Amino acid sequence: MKKLSFILIVLVALAGCTNKQERSNDKPHIVATTGMLFDAVVNIGGDKITAEAIMGPGVDPHLYKATQGDLAKFNQADMIIYNGILLEGKMSEILKKLGKQKPTVAAAESIPKEMLKSAIGYKDAYDPHVWFDVSRWKYAVKAISEAIISLDSTNQQFYYDNTRRYLSQLDSLDQYVKVRIKSIPENQRILITAHDAFTYFGDAYGMRVEGLQGISTVADFGLKDIAELIDLIIQNNIKAIFVETSVSEKSINAVVTGCKEKGHNVRIGGYLYSDAMGEFGTDEGTYIGMFRKNVETIVNALK
Amino acid sequence: MDAFWIILTGSLVAVSCAILGSFLILRKMSMVGDAISHSVLPGIVIAFFIAGSMQSIWMLVGAGILGILTTFLIEFFHQKGRLQTDASIGVTFTWLFALGVILVTYYAGNAHIDQDCILHGEIAYVPIDLIYDSNGNAIGPKAVIILSFVLGLILLFVVLFYKELFITTFDASFAKVVGISTNKWHYALMGLVSLTTVASFESVGAILVVALLIAPAAAAYLITNQLKVMLLLSSAFGILSAFFGYWLSYLVDGSIAGAMVTVAGIIFAICYFIVRFKK
Repeated sequence: MKKLSFILIVLVALAGCTNKQERSNDKPHIVATTGMLFDAVVNIGGDKITAEAIMGPGVDPHLYKATQGDLAKFNQADMIIYNGILLEGKMSEILKKLGKQKPTVAAAESIPKEMLKSAIGYKDAYDPHVWFDVSRWKYAVKAISEAIISLDSTNQQFYYDNTRRYLSQLDSLDQYVKVRIKSIPENQRILITAHDAFTYFGDAYGMRVEGLQGISTVADFGLKDIAELIDLIIQNNIKAIFVETSVSEKSINAVVTGCKEKGHNVRIGGYLYSDAMGEFGTDEGTYIGMFRKNVETIVNALK
Repeated sequence: MDAFWIILTGSLVAVSCAILGSFLILRKMSMVGDAISHSVLPGIVIAFFIAGSMQSIWMLVGAGILGILTTFLIEFFHQKGRLQTDASIGVTFTWLFALGVILVTYYAGNAHIDQDCILHGEIAYVPIDLIYDSNGNAIGPKAVIILSFVLGLILLFVVLFYKELFITTFDASFAKVVGISTNKWHYALMGLVSLTTVASFESVGAILVVALLIAPAAAAYLITNQLKVMLLLSSAFGILSAFFGYWLSYLVDGSIAGAMVTVAGIIFAICYFIVRFKK
């Protein structure tokens, strides 16, 4: 027993000597959880900050598993920006608590509560996929901007100008999406996807949205859901349905096959970015590029 | 300091699980941890309906009640239905999990409810999930405090009632002769198992708990046939898994729980080969 406790003490002592990574400069370092938030941070902060994203391209934030390095990222951050509204699951809860030690900002929670869609009428359960309506997302961008300014007030003007420029880009994106969606014939404006991530999109741009799976990516879909979707597709003579990059396409294939059996040809209209964006550095790796790409995919398939 | 807290948390879970796991192996009930990890789902959903929120405390209560119900049902089917324990475990947890899935899809299809999102914690975040005193000073990681309490309870239980646990585990008929109720001790032990698993799920996630409940105790079981030695050895294996697992995850920048379980598996393999080639 004595030997054992000695070994224990040595092990724990050894564990204490971790190496700490030094940061190379003294710019504020901001860590964002999702790619959408990271993109807003980079656009506002420019070269006056350094930024890092926790979840890479194609990662489902609902199911994200932390790695050893993520903790170091959180620890080195001067500020942490996360979506909130339980998009990150239990991670949001912990980041909220971490707010006692360093600024943590739940960007999407700055959106007025009455603009959020409640999932089933319970007070804590809102749909977290707010970035698919540009006007709602602008609240999040403004919240990020305010947070960055409060962190580094010496460059206030710089951030302010960047924010204004970014917001006007978002405005023109908003206009562009409205125009493009209007080019789809009115009775064809039905968006069918695997996972219910596009509720706000439909609400803002006048499309009826039907998802197979519900908000949670692990809740299974029922056979009745598939049957109802197939009926809806045939009744409305819908040409295409969509697959999402971060969700398996198995379930949506079942719908395509079901329609074929009933003699209606519906095709897969393409891949939509939903919970994650494209590779960093590509056009689809930015919020605006990703959004445009989605709209093009939808319009080309349904027109 | 982060490494210290994570390894300490891992070790606390490991020792709790190793002690309980040793008894579970001897009673042929190792998979009860895995069973509880699934069967808590209806508890979470019902707790969400009653409380109307996803606060951890309600989820813990719901999960805890279902954990105890699970162990109760397993024993009930085993004794009254004369099922083998493995079949009894299988029937109980799949049924409860299925019930949970139906509840989620039927009533809460649009809300984000599942164990992964709501109940299961992540050991990587232990050092930043702190408890504060009334002045706002950090006392220490929440998981370390909760799990120390759980481990203390287990140690107290095993040290005080070692004789009863020993007799009911190895010789139930002798226990009856000397007037020790096997049922009472069984339910006490299983109550402790569900408390430990649910509290640990909340702090460090499911896979780590399920694995540490089995692998270290199984490795110790290969080496010794004395209960006391088995308890000490399995605890030591658990601590080693936590320690080397952390550094493995550091090396590959991977999941910490995954790495700890990998090391626990390697320790089991080493024990197996040692025992095998000694003979």
